[in-house]
Amino acid sequence: MASDPELEGKWHAPRSGRDVAARLVRSADGNVSVADVESGGELVSAASAQIRISRRVGSVPRRIFFPDQSMFVTRDNDGVDRLLGASVGRGTKWLVEMERFRPRLAIAVALIAVLAFAVYRYAVPVLVEVAIAVTPDVVPGLMSSGALATLDEAVLSESELDAERQQEITNGFKALAAHAPRGSDGYTLYFRKGGAIGPNALALPDGTIIITDELIILAGDDDDSIYGVLGHEIGHVADEHSLRRLYRAAGITGLIILIGGDIGSGVEDVLIQGSALLSLSYSRDQERDADRYSIEIMHRAGRDPEAIARFFEVMRDRFGDTGKGAILTTHPATSERIEEARRYAREITATAKGGDG
Amino acid sequence: MNDTAQGWGESVRMQREPFVFTGTAREYFGIWIVNILLTLLTLGVYSAWAKVRRMRYFHGSTRLGDASFEYHARPVQILIGRIVALAVIAGYNLALNFFPAASLLLGIVLVAALPYLVMRGLRFRARVTSYRNVRFDFEGGYWGAFLAYVLGGILTWSTLGVLAPLASRWIWSYTLGNLTYGGRPIDCDPRLEKLFGQWWLPAILFAGGIGLFLTGSIALGYVYGPQLAELVGGGGGVGTLTAGILALIYVGLLPLVLLYVTVGLLYHAGSRNVAFEETVIDGQHALASSINRWRYTWIAISNFAATVASLGLLRPWAAVRMAHYLAACTALDTVGSLDEYVDTVEHEGAAVGQEYMDVEGLDFGF
Repeated sequence: MASDPELEGKWHAPRSGRDVAARLVRSADGNVSVADVESGGELVSAASAQIRISRRVGSVPRRIFFPDQSMFVTRDNDGVDRLLGASVGRGTKWLVEMERFRPRLAIAVALIAVLAFAVYRYAVPVLVEVAIAVTPDVVPGLMSSGALATLDEAVLSESELDAERQQEITNGFKALAAHAPRGSDGYTLYFRKGGAIGPNALALPDGTIIITDELIILAGDDDDSIYGVLGHEIGHVADEHSLRRLYRAAGITGLIILIGGDIGSGVEDVLIQGSALLSLSYSRDQERDADRYSIEIMHRAGRDPEAIARFFEVMRDRFGDTGKGAILTTHPATSERIEEARRYAREITATAKGGDG
Repeated sequence: MNDTAQGWGESVRMQREPFVFTGTAREYFGIWIVNILLTLLTLGVYSAWAKVRRMRYFHGSTRLGDASFEYHARPVQILIGRIVALAVIAGYNLALNFFPAASLLLGIVLVAALPYLVMRGLRFRARVTSYRNVRFDFEGGYWGAFLAYVLGGILTWSTLGVLAPLASRWIWSYTLGNLTYGGRPIDCDPRLEKLFGQWWLPAILFAGGIGLFLTGSIALGYVYGPQLAELVGGGGGVGTLTAGILALIYVGLLPLVLLYVTVGLLYHAGSRNVAFEETVIDGQHALASSINRWRYTWIAISNFAATVASLGLLRPWAAVRMAHYLAACTALDTVGSLDEYVDTVEHEGAAVGQEYMDVEGLDFGF
């Protein structure tokens, strides 16, 4: 460990590829100079504050740049740290120490697993909330008008429902929406013929709600089940589900892209597909939340909270319980939703009665 | 190693300098794991520093003759480039959400911007790379990138890959032929017939594979039609042929992806050999590439499998293994010794200005 005050290496003249076997010396007053090994003549000299040293990465040769653009290269990494350590900077030393192949890297592996989970479970949701808080109101407005125009062009057509029935449902909808945070003016109901999408209802982020003729016909005389579905859609708007899904997907994909270079492009693709699968489960959670919202708002509006469960039953009887709640679906299994809706509706009515009495 | 002394004095003497990759999986593992850890801890901000450390490790471990390459990008440059890139991607996706009807227009804007982004990315990468204190530069323009990446892509897809060699000719001569080293030009003009020579084997494999897939699915549809219809269509009254095809799509998707990847890798390795063999630096020094196509394909696919099976932990080993193989298959044939050549470069004034800001982070692989 005798502190050798010299470094062996090669020196390149300014802007030149030619190299000269050279020796770097640091004198007592902090001056750094390079001398030709053969002739012993000085090639360059500078105060140590003026030189720039490339940071240490593994056993990659270090470069020491002089103000005149000449460069000294050496493979003696420890020697550089020993001789010129003061100018290298603390951060790198700590980093290089951490990067050494030691058993303790197992801790880094474990930490990554924990961190990846924590980022997915906690950090991304927090970022999503921040993004939603700073999103100006025009954004959901623009998104919705664009989406409505596209839907009208591609799938939906004009409603064939008579005006009287439309007015009746709109009135009921307004009365229901009065119990939602934006009030009855915060939501607009549109009637459309569903065509390819059949009996359906959709919520757009600015409070626009679309209901198809097919759904109204399917509900028959049971108007409450129509309002149950509309309550579900109001729930999607109230909790800003579409914006949340958008930001969340963007956040996770962005992070995967950023570490993509380190994990390799093939694995990056697999991860992005994987996160898309996980986002389906997120979407199922949103459906469950919207179901609960429907039950709550129906209860507040003095309507039958179990109505949405009845609508699901009609759907199930008509089309069969195709969704098994599999990993590839956006909606939970119908039978499960019916059961849960009935359970929650009973719970809400019970607590309300308990509170009254 | 190199009999430099003998090289002098003789007017023309070819000398082969091999590329060597000196990195080890062990050493890279530490750099890699810390890169990922800090990237996650900083929610992606460290990724710019991570990229510089990764690139410096791979450049610095690649040796030619007695010197290694160096990567000079500063993390802050890359960070800004990445913020710009992410903002562009986010803006594009948001715009698609606001105005889905304008998606065609947005697509055209993106396609028009693509060559520019490719060009700036290549220029950045060249300028931050040096060998023996002499920098590379990239002089390709917008239309060259447009030809190679947009027109080439359209031609390749619209002819189902038949004209792929034409596209690769444009890509290679754009990416390699526009490089300069210390102000000296690098030429790359892979001949079309040679590229087609590397194309027919993957093409036959692909056509054969697809044919097998289609006959198989139709045959399966006829033999097990009713059962498959029950299974696939859920009793929804699907025809036997449709059922067969649907079933095979489920069963055959993975083999089909594997076929597509294999064919792509085989062709890429072959076209790299052709392109490198026809690359000449400064009119006299020639690159040489002798990748074994099957070996390369095997390494790439087994690397991927090992990485996924080890939950990513074997990624450093895989990356080093590939770098090792590619370096071992690459060489530079110099006229006279390499020392002599870089010596002549010095007067050209090699250093490009240190301060430039380029779009980076959008790495368009092909």
